[in-house]
Amino acid sequence: MASSLAIDGLEAGYGTVRVLNGLSLTVGAGETVALLGTNGNGKSTLMKCIMGLAVPMAGSIRAEIDGVTHELAGARTEDIVSLGIALVPEGRRLFPRLSVEENLTLGAYRPAARAGLRRGLEYCFEAFPRLAERRRQLAGSMSGGEQQMLALGRALMSEPRILLVDEPSVGLAPLLVKRTIEKIRELKESRNLTVLMAEQNFVQALSIADRGYVIVHGEIAFTGNSAAELNDNELIRKFYMGL
Amino acid sequence: MPISASFRRAIPAASCSPAVVDKRSRGKRAWKGKPNGMDPLLELLLNAVVAGLLLGAFYAAVAVGIAIAFGMLDIPNLAHPAFVVMGAFAVWLLNDAFGLDPILAGILCLPPFFLLGVLLYQAYYACFESRGDNALQGLAFFFGILFVTEVVLILVIGADYRTVAAPYIGPNWRIGGIDLPLRMLVPALVSLLMIGGLHLLLTRSFIGRAILAVSQDPLALQLMGASPVRTKRLAFGLSIATAAIAGALLIIIQPVEPSIGREFIGRAFAVVVLGGMGSFVGMLMAAMVLGVTESLVATLFSPSWAPAIAFGFLLPTLAIRAGGLMGRKL
Repeated sequence: MASSLAIDGLEAGYGTVRVLNGLSLTVGAGETVALLGTNGNGKSTLMKCIMGLAVPMAGSIRAEIDGVTHELAGARTEDIVSLGIALVPEGRRLFPRLSVEENLTLGAYRPAARAGLRRGLEYCFEAFPRLAERRRQLAGSMSGGEQQMLALGRALMSEPRILLVDEPSVGLAPLLVKRTIEKIRELKESRNLTVLMAEQNFVQALSIADRGYVIVHGEIAFTGNSAAELNDNELIRKFYMGL
Repeated sequence: MPISASFRRAIPAASCSPAVVDKRSRGKRAWKGKPNGMDPLLELLLNAVVAGLLLGAFYAAVAVGIAIAFGMLDIPNLAHPAFVVMGAFAVWLLNDAFGLDPILAGILCLPPFFLLGVLLYQAYYACFESRGDNALQGLAFFFGILFVTEVVLILVIGADYRTVAAPYIGPNWRIGGIDLPLRMLVPALVSLLMIGGLHLLLTRSFIGRAILAVSQDPLALQLMGASPVRTKRLAFGLSIATAAIAGALLIIIQPVEPSIGREFIGRAFAVVVLGGMGSFVGMLMAAMVLGVTESLVATLFSPSWAPAIAFGFLLPTLAIRAGGLMGRKL
């Protein structure tokens, strides 16, 4: 059974600064949804709210996992992870002085994933052969592309049902961006995931997304019910794709 | 035999307060003086090296708590040696009142010391870490804890030197001209056992890996489903629990009075930094290097030079290998 996410009227911010102004979006079961927007519009704040790292002031975040609906707003991060929701954070946030294998192993920290540790490692090493070659190397000594692969692998180790990916393209060469995005599509299909991906690289993100939202100043400014709808929109082409 | 007599003083001299230790061990371990054909100077050096290794293993037992708190959690626990002394007194109480074996007594003290560490971290977290200003304030906090602990010990137990009784305090094994006083050998073995166990826990268990990761990126650890605060609380509890065992070893090795812990602050932090933050293997190596250097200097020159030369040796080593001997460097 697949899992879905529904966010309704979400308001959040830091101190007196409001970042999200009544944001609503849905990610249907088995979908890949792109959250598109340039820097400073609230993409990362939304990700933090879903993971319980930022507390919303209003609104709801509901995750339906295996037919059971959970309210995530106000829940603890550990409990959210335990439900089967994983985030690949912006900037990757690996443990630089732990080895590749130790990073992956920590990915399986949540109790439900521990039993599958060996299986998860095998899966990751098969999906990312570079990680197998470098399993004893310190994560901080790897290249940006390898680190992004490790961050993806580490998130998969928790056997998530819903995968959130925040800005996977940041700091990567264009060819690597393409490869990373393609990898996300592959993993999503083979693991039957529901994916919400925040990205400012519209072209790349739309190459794998089923649908997309454009976020401006903490609100959804445009909803594209298919990737084509976003791709063909005159304003989006002009403002975000430079076409 | 003047040379061997000076060696006999070398072991306790290197492990602090030579006069007192000598008083206790004198008479119990009579020098047999049987020449066995080895070159006296070589025998002297070998003995000094072995004594230094045993001493180094004990230093490692004191340093391992700091290796966890300072090396892995970024908590500058200056008061750790005071907790070691507190452990020594707890062991003394149990030994004196019930005749318990000092090491067994140390093991019995593990749960209360763990709890003490948990409570201390909770206070440190609430007062400093959660507010983000934990560098200098934290240092002052633990410096205060150090003095408070000392004063409390003096008020409760008194300022006298205390000793424990155990069958392995006194006897001396002699293998091929090398002296192995059991009062040094048993603590060294217990120390290695404890460090080995902790190493396994940290590298093989989920909670252990979380402890290794927590100071590198607490937010990322949270995303793995582990609570950074709970992880650090548990790890700091473990760190203080090691002080119970280290205290038992300390009072087996030498008589203890409340302020004796200060002699170990510099040594223990130096060992952790030299070993490479967060590496137990490196810490053990560094402790051995310090122990052997101190022991050699005490044997060949004078016990009073031992700490100075040992530190003189540590500083250039750090200048060459800034990350320590075995630290995980990038």
